Amino acid sequence: MRGDRVTWIYAVERAVKNNVPKVEAILKEHPYLLDLAMKVREGKTEVLRNLDRYVEETIKSVEKSGGRAHLVSNAEEAKEIVSKIVGTGKTIVLGKSMVAYEAGLRKHLEAMGNDVWETDLGEFLIQLADEPPSHIIAPSLHMTKERAEEVMRKIDNELNNSTHEKIAMTARKFLRDKFIKAHVGITGANAVAADTGSVILVENEGNIRMTTVLPEVHIAVAGLEKILPNLQLALYEALVQAAFGGLYPPSYVNVSSGPSSTADIEMKRVSPAHGPREFHLVLLDNGRREAAKDPVLWESLLCVRCGRCHLHCPVYRVFGGKWGVPPYSGPMGAMWSAVVYRDFGPAQLCVHSGGCREVCPMKIDIPKVLEELKKRGLKQ
Amino acid sequence: MKIEGLVREVLVRSLKDYMMPFPTSKKVCTEWATDIPRGGGTVIYTGCMYQLTPLTDLYANALPLLSKVEGAEKLYPLAMAITPSRVHRERAKRILQNVAAALKRSGVQFNYLYEDEPYSGTVLLELGFVEEFAEYAKRVMQHFNRLGVKKLITVDPHSHYAFSRYREFTNFDLEVVSYLQLIRDLGTKVEGEYVVHDSCLYSRFLGLRETYRSLIKAAGASLKDDQLVTGPATSMCCGAPIGPLRKRESEAIASYRAAQLSSLGDKLVVVCPLCYLALSPHFKGKVMDLAELMSFR
Ligand code: SF4
Repeated sequence: MRGDRVTWIYAVERAVKNNVPKVEAILKEHPYLLDLAMKVREGKTEVLRNLDRYVEETIKSVEKSGGRAHLVSNAEEAKEIVSKIVGTGKTIVLGKSMVAYEAGLRKHLEAMGNDVWETDLGEFLIQLADEPPSHIIAPSLHMTKERAEEVMRKIDNELNNSTHEKIAMTARKFLRDKFIKAHVGITGANAVAADTGSVILVENEGNIRMTTVLPEVHIAVAGLEKILPNLQLALYEALVQAAFGGLYPPSYVNVSSGPSSTADIEMKRVSPAHGPREFHLVLLDNGRREAAKDPVLWESLLCVRCGRCHLHCPVYRVFGGKWGVPPYSGPMGAMWSAVVYRDFGPAQLCVHSGGCREVCPMKIDIPKVLEELKKRGLKQ
Repeated sequence: MKIEGLVREVLVRSLKDYMMPFPTSKKVCTEWATDIPRGGGTVIYTGCMYQLTPLTDLYANALPLLSKVEGAEKLYPLAMAITPSRVHRERAKRILQNVAAALKRSGVQFNYLYEDEPYSGTVLLELGFVEEFAEYAKRVMQHFNRLGVKKLITVDPHSHYAFSRYREFTNFDLEVVSYLQLIRDLGTKVEGEYVVHDSCLYSRFLGLRETYRSLIKAAGASLKDDQLVTGPATSMCCGAPIGPLRKRESEAIASYRAAQLSSLGDKLVVVCPLCYLALSPHFKGKVMDLAELMSFR
């Protein structure tokens, strides 16, 4: 077996041991989560069936809350609009966003002469190592602790035989300064509420909280499928994502509706207060509208990106992030490689084990979708 | 020709000419049956899976090489002469005769179609040739109708699953049941502790996981389980389904799965001929089909 595969299997086995029993315990302890998951599925289905109407409503709601919404068709347009908002010579902090990765935002903003930093620990490791992410919520899953330490030596060459805590602390020290200096914070979105224009972000590190409130400008980048009909369902999605990802209760759930504001003087709401003076929501299509109309592929847009299917998939367990087109790996990634990149290749490796379908909170019939993608790939 | 094209060509042509996945002698499929009445009605259905699966490896190895040869499809009729080794043939005979004995012991009456038995088409589905599968399913249904078949007793998960999908593509009104569901009288005792590698199809698509597991337990054996290795949502595939097109990846998955199972024990029970083929070269210990572990005669 090749060396990198041996390391990968070692790393993923550790992750499975830490994560799989944890998710099962969470669902047993909080059975209402299964109910919430079904409500999220219904809400997302409703949006996907009427996508244009909900996109329009979301844009209106964002503007109403004092933010700016931008609908973009592809990665190029996303880069263009974000560059316009950001400019050059800025310090930018990023909260983990797979859509930002999909659009190639970090590298683009760096090339424009900005100082850009990933602030999620996993994504920070990915940035330092200059490697593609290997998992949708744990991007550095392929790195063992030993490898993470080696990568982290780029910012602290004294590190030796560190604990997990010590590695996390090194990132914390380095990034604090970046948060304070940052002009712009860019995040993804776990969900977007059409009725309020709010962006929901769920996290544990506190990096997203700081990314969304410390800089003067907050830009959230979200795929169209992140829209839920209302704030209630959007909050449910965040909880479901956290629980099925194995991190429940999440340390933080953030709701951002427009720029910061205060109503402390005569109860008149004015903006800004302490947080950002500008809020932008960039809504990315990049194949999603077409997929929403597809009789089979539409189901893949229900994905809440909990990353659970990955750990129950034999192909992912053996090949990891190399299976799929980054950042989309694993069973969800085999579907999403088709949605976003029109690449049917990853689906060809599906062994139809059905473990993914068994554990998906959205009850996506992943093997069925992949069977169809196999068929289309073979026709090509 | 690209490998996908060549595999498709071989499959479609062989299914058209012989209703078999590769050109092969029907004797290999039927030699196990000596005293089963010929005919329709309720039939034991082998799909020639136990008999022909040993050839899968040979084809999987040969096809990538052939895909580089111009006009390779002309070699097709020569494949008729290729048969599995004697050891494999004897093993398939033993297993199928034991399955037949299990049914008889449980009072089930059945016939066999002998050389009229068509292949189920399952490999088309596994590789993604869904339209070809749909076409073939219609033909198989007509064939069963002509022969008066009403009920199929399957012996492997892949054929069973293929038939469970027929309704999507054709008027399929046959009853399909696995032999595992019909065993009433075990007639056998088994001692010791075994690791079970679940068939993904039986376990997660056909709801039969507990059916075979409880048979083994009822015979007196105990099962060595680990929630992360053999759980209903965690047990991994043996890698075989993608073998014909992706030999290297299929093997990497098989060796990973075998290593997982080896960590639990050295006696492995499988319920599918493809799992046996994929796992036996990598598992550290003895691998047996359920119909080898349990003797119903
Ligand atoms: S497909 Fe399902 S299990 Fe996989 S990441 Fe998406 S929601 Fe989670």
